Formats: sequence, structure tokens, C-alpha cells
Amino acid sequence: MDVLQPSTRINLEKASVLVLDDNGPSLDILSQVVSGFGVNQLSRAESVKEAQALVATKTFDLIISDVQIPEVDGIEFINWLRREAPETNRYVPVILVTGHTRTTDIFRTRDAGANFTVAKPITPKVLLERIFWVAREERAFIECDTYAGPDRRFKYEGPPIGVEGRRRDDLPAEVGTAQEANMSQDEINSLMKVAKVQI
Amino acid sequence: MSVVRKFRPPNRLAKLIKDRGGLMAKDAIAAAEVGVESLREASLAVLDEALSEIERRFGPGAPDRESESFESLYGLTLQMIDVSTFVADAGVDQAAISLAAITDSCAEAGVWRWNAIDVHLNALRLLRTVGAQLPAADRQAMLEGLYKVSHRKIDEL
Repeated sequence: MDVLQPSTRINLEKASVLVLDDNGPSLDILSQVVSGFGVNQLSRAESVKEAQALVATKTFDLIISDVQIPEVDGIEFINWLRREAPETNRYVPVILVTGHTRTTDIFRTRDAGANFTVAKPITPKVLLERIFWVAREERAFIECDTYAGPDRRFKYEGPPIGVEGRRRDDLPAEVGTAQEANMSQDEINSLMKVAKVQI
Repeated sequence: MSVVRKFRPPNRLAKLIKDRGGLMAKDAIAAAEVGVESLREASLAVLDEALSEIERRFGPGAPDRESESFESLYGLTLQMIDVSTFVADAGVDQAAISLAAITDSCAEAGVWRWNAIDVHLNALRLLRTVGAQLPAADRQAMLEGLYKVSHRKIDEL
């Protein structure tokens, strides 16, 4: 994951962002943070119904949603977004924010289809870092009967030792016997030729 | 067996964020902090109102607290967490998160743990009043104590 440096330039001027939170003061804080990042096209919603109406009529580049919302919560909203929203918004990056995750909601939150979940209280540094990650990540999108959203196994480091992997590109944990002769020094050197790089 | 589709949809945000211009991260964070700061007074009023309501309805002296719902206390606690960024230096945010955890565990078990809730309410009031002035080690010890209390299972009591 890329690290956000203080000198990294970020341009969110043209990004269209939707923030959803049923708690007015919390929505105000989120909105102030996002505006401070330079976002000019900010839409606010205090209920999932309002958010759905906005998603139906506007195209967003980022959605930030609270989890705990009365009646229809943020998780259900993301489920709807990933399955039923207009195609233009269906794959938009989503950051969920939550003050506390109930024991019964842990798996629901994981399976909601959001890119990240951020704990409240929100701090500008953490939120900007997550926005940066969301913009830089190259996770594939998964759609199946039980899940729609970014691949949840993005920190995948191979199958546990002693377990046979199920993925096509899974390699065995143990290194086997060499199949070919060792490379010569010249061959190794040729892999490290001086080349022009753009910094 | 369900069909799994794996693909890479275009990420518009990835393109926009790299456009010329924009802000340096440190300046964007500073601007956001200035914007948030303008909400300090209003947010603290919301936090104090929520804490007072919790004490009134769920404190040791509340006559009807047994008949109150878990959801009400959980909702009020979340209201505090939402705006607690302004009192993070006092530890109020962590204490409120701990209270949310204990309320959630009470809701799951269907049983109030008043001793644990009372400890949290006392701590929240203390932290809100003088938390920022407490020695860091004392404040941390208090928060760790609350965490332990909130993560004890009902049957361990």
C-alpha cells in the first residue's frame, strides 16, 4: 500500500463526492473534512432514501457513508449500490465510517462491498490517507451470488503453510528442487542493466 | 455453484486525483482541520447534551433505567463518538467507544450490567471535565481499565 507523504499532491477539485450520515453534527464534520480536501462537488444525504435518489441522478467518484443509520443502514445501502444502482455508480469507491461495529455486524460490514471501513471519530489525516489508498489501489471487483465489491483478500500473501492453495496462481510454500541450471553471472548482470527511469 | 465474475472497473477517482494542480496532502489536512475546528462549539454542545441524557436516563439515580432499551443507550453513545474528535486528548472518545462495546454486549445477552455502565459513566464525566489535564499515564490506565471491563463476558462476572 502506498504511503501518503505530506508533499504528495492530490487533486479532488473535480471529484464528485457523496457523504451520508443520519447524524447532522457528524455529517457536518465529514462535509467540512471533505471540503477541506478541495472537493467542490459535495452532495450530502441524511438518509439512505436521499442517498439513493442522488445516486440515481448523479455520477459520483467517491461515496463516504456512515454504517449506523436508522431503518435502512449503511451496509444495506452499499449492498443496494453494488447490485441495483445505475451502472455509472455501481463500482464507485466506498468508504464506510463507524463509531463502533456491533458483534452482529462484523461479518455484514466485511461483506458490504465497501473498499475500506474507517473508525470514528474521523480525523482528516486518516480519511485523506484512505481516500488516497482507494484511488491508488488496483483491487479487482468481484461479483457473485453472495458478494459484490472489491476483492476482500487484498492482503493475500498465499495460502497458510501446509495448506494447498485454491487459486490458479497459488504457489506451494516449500521451494522445490531447481528445475534448470543456475543462471550465469552475465545473465544476472543483463537483468540489471542501467536504464533510464522517470522519477 | 455460483458464477464468480472478476474484473477491473475503471476508477475515475484514480484519474482525477492525479490531475495537475490540487493540494499537497499536508495543506489539504490543514485546511480540513481548520474547517472542522469551526464546528468545535456546536459539537461539544451535542456531546455534553448526549452525556447528560445518558446520565439522566441510565445513571445510578435514574428511576426507570431497568425499563430503558439497549438501543437508546447505544444510539446516544454513538452520538457522542461521532463528535468526540474534539475531546480525543481527554480520552472521551475511547471511553465512549468502550461504553458502546459494553452496551452491545448487554444487548446481545439481554441483560444490563449496571456496575460496568456506572463505571463508564463516572469515567466519562471525569474525563470530560479534567481528562486533558490528567497525567497521560493515569488517563491511559483509566482507559485500559474501562476496556477490560467492557470486554468481560457476562458469564465471567
